[in-house]
Amino acid sequence: MTAPNSRELPVCTCPLVDSETGSAATVVAIECGESEACRLRALGLYEGAQVSVVGKRHCLLVDVSGTRLALGADLAEGITVRPQGRIAS
Amino acid sequence: MTATAGPERPTATEPLRVAIIGNPNTGKTTLFNALTGLRQRVGNFAGVTVERVEGAFRMPDGRRVAVLDLPGSYSLSAGSPDERIALEVLLDRDGQHWRPHVVLVVVDACHLERNLFLASQVCELGLPVVIALNQFDMAAEQGITIDVPELIHAIGVPVVPTVASRGEGIEPLKKALFTAAELPPPARRFTLPPEIEASLAPLVTHLERGGLARGPAEMEALRLLGVRRGEKHLAHIPDLARELDAARDAIRAVGHTPEREESEARYGWIGEVMQRTVRRRAAGTETTSDRVDAVVLHRLGGPLVFLAIMALVFQAVFSWAAPMQDAIEAVIHWLGALVAAPLPEGDLKSLVVDGVFAGVGSVLVFLPQIAILFAFIGVLEQSGYMARAAFLMDRVMRRVGLHGKSFIPMLSGYACAVPGIMATRTIDDQQERLATIMVVPLMSCSARLPVYTLLIATFVPALPLLPGLDLQGATMLAMYLLGTVAALAVAALFRKTLLRGPVRPMLLELPAYRWPSPQSLWVSVWQRCLLFLRRAGTVILALSIVLWALATYPKTAVDPSLPVEAQHEQQLAHSALGGFGHAIEPAVRPLGYDWKIGVSIVASFAAREVFVSTMGTIYGVGAEDDAALQDRLRRETRADGAPAYTPLVAVGLMVFYVFALMCMSTIAVTIREAGGGRLGWKWAGIQFAYMLALAYGAAWLTVTAGRALGFA
Repeated sequence: MTAPNSRELPVCTCPLVDSETGSAATVVAIECGESEACRLRALGLYEGAQVSVVGKRHCLLVDVSGTRLALGADLAEGITVRPQGRIAS
Repeated sequence: MTATAGPERPTATEPLRVAIIGNPNTGKTTLFNALTGLRQRVGNFAGVTVERVEGAFRMPDGRRVAVLDLPGSYSLSAGSPDERIALEVLLDRDGQHWRPHVVLVVVDACHLERNLFLASQVCELGLPVVIALNQFDMAAEQGITIDVPELIHAIGVPVVPTVASRGEGIEPLKKALFTAAELPPPARRFTLPPEIEASLAPLVTHLERGGLARGPAEMEALRLLGVRRGEKHLAHIPDLARELDAARDAIRAVGHTPEREESEARYGWIGEVMQRTVRRRAAGTETTSDRVDAVVLHRLGGPLVFLAIMALVFQAVFSWAAPMQDAIEAVIHWLGALVAAPLPEGDLKSLVVDGVFAGVGSVLVFLPQIAILFAFIGVLEQSGYMARAAFLMDRVMRRVGLHGKSFIPMLSGYACAVPGIMATRTIDDQQERLATIMVVPLMSCSARLPVYTLLIATFVPALPLLPGLDLQGATMLAMYLLGTVAALAVAALFRKTLLRGPVRPMLLELPAYRWPSPQSLWVSVWQRCLLFLRRAGTVILALSIVLWALATYPKTAVDPSLPVEAQHEQQLAHSALGGFGHAIEPAVRPLGYDWKIGVSIVASFAAREVFVSTMGTIYGVGAEDDAALQDRLRRETRADGAPAYTPLVAVGLMVFYVFALMCMSTIAVTIREAGGGRLGWKWAGIQFAYMLALAYGAAWLTVTAGRALGFA
């Protein structure tokens, strides 16, 4: 699930909120209320899943394996991701 | 308890019991409707407000099938009341002894990966499973090819491709249900890492000792790692919390994170299944849904589209229903006259015309609004727009402690609180839902309109204020605004007191847009109407007859030389209702009302618009003649010669009607929707009491402040 050669690169993670719109990222950790965490995982947003932010408003619009999720900013704050787009730049 | 035994087989006399489960937005309900048609019964799961819909169908050879539509669930992790219910039913722990013979998992072919998470959990419960691979056509359109035989092989259960909205695949699916009932139940298809397996073993054994079969015990052990609450269906197992903590510690000791284990294991297996069975055309292209969302969720365009759609819904419920309502009233009136014609003048005739037929009319007259509103809600939900509306409104509603989904019920309240309260069923969180029910009747409904119209036309002069707006229009607008602002404020108050609780963070799936299925729409509208007639309708009819009796008895000798209307007035004044009006006169006097208004207010408990007809009766001018009633009200004087009604009293009265819950239909619906039984009565009581207190207080404040400012 991790990007190739990710071991050689400095591990750079950030909250999902700060992830760039349009670029893919891998979920590293989920920290939020237990029932929300359960729900996120059931919706396909689990540790190791590929996600990408497709829009930012008062909520985040996130693509999770073809599904569009609207996530409150408070929730997106607790999701840590490793952006993949940054490796190239 | 049968939970330890293997799967049950239906006996020769009982129907095959099938439970349908699936993620929201998979077309689960459409499939359920396609299977059962109109043969459905709607109730509630015991003790909760989660809706329980059971249907039935018959095979061509006469075998019967009972189908239970479980609430939409993303997993069996019991994060919401809906998911908890689903799990309890599947484990036969919901206390209704409806243990399914077969579980039908509805899976969205377009989002197979996520949907298989729930399916893989269900497959471990020791029950035969059939998977309906629904929206198979849409998957093909999106360039997704699924190798069905390979999928059957990978999961180990029958898989039937379906397109529920067009009825495709329904017959093979029905046959598969019977075939599956004869097959051995599926089991877990993946293995956990050995160190996890070992860490969980004591917990699994403990659950088995608690009465669970091997499969469900393993499923529960893995699931419980991510859950921390005590759960009702496992409450009978002693020391479960201790065993669970031990298992978590053991997992941490080998360097893993307990909460992640289930999703990692299941999605790991699902990933392999996907590789073997699914081919995808080059991804990354923009879908039609994305293009629609670019407009519908646009910063400026989004709210505009939303407003346009809401205006259409409001207009439809408000005005399209009117001709149908008039027609229903006319037919009822005509039927009443027809039935009453051969009866002699007297109480029996009065009971038939003014009690029974008027009561039936006051029930049926709501049907057009309910049908129209629910047709719209159905279209908005099935098309996928409802999730977008909730997304857009979430920001505003969150400020008063409600969810975006509370908006539609509140808007519907402008037309009528009855369908509005029924529409709160789309709200997941119980506290948020109750808070919404509590405030929906504060939105000025169409039944208040006749009251506002009469009083404004009589007492408020048409002074021009702005181009296109005079004082009369402004007064009307003020009444609507007053109710709306109060509704938001009271909702916030409820969420900080009786219905306290965090607003659940925004977490919403925005499903792909699709065309609604007409058959499914028709079934859901029909179901809502039936539900209203059966539950609320009976209460309304009974109360109408009670109110008729109160207005008719005790009889008094009327002066036959007087005109008919005056006879009515005399009779009403001496009836139990009239007595009540006199009795509450001291209470309403501070608001500037006399006993006649008191009677009208009490009588309008049947429905607010009755206020106008009762005033007509009391003043002996009849309800049909608005101009005569207005004239009469302006001329009415008190004993001391001062005018009985001043513009100030009229405004106070309108303010009273903005807030007061003068509507027994609303009360009946609140009782039912707040959970029925004692719970329902409790919330209906709270609702009635707070609204009456608010109405009285606000009317008193209006009159007192008005007088202090020098208005008459």
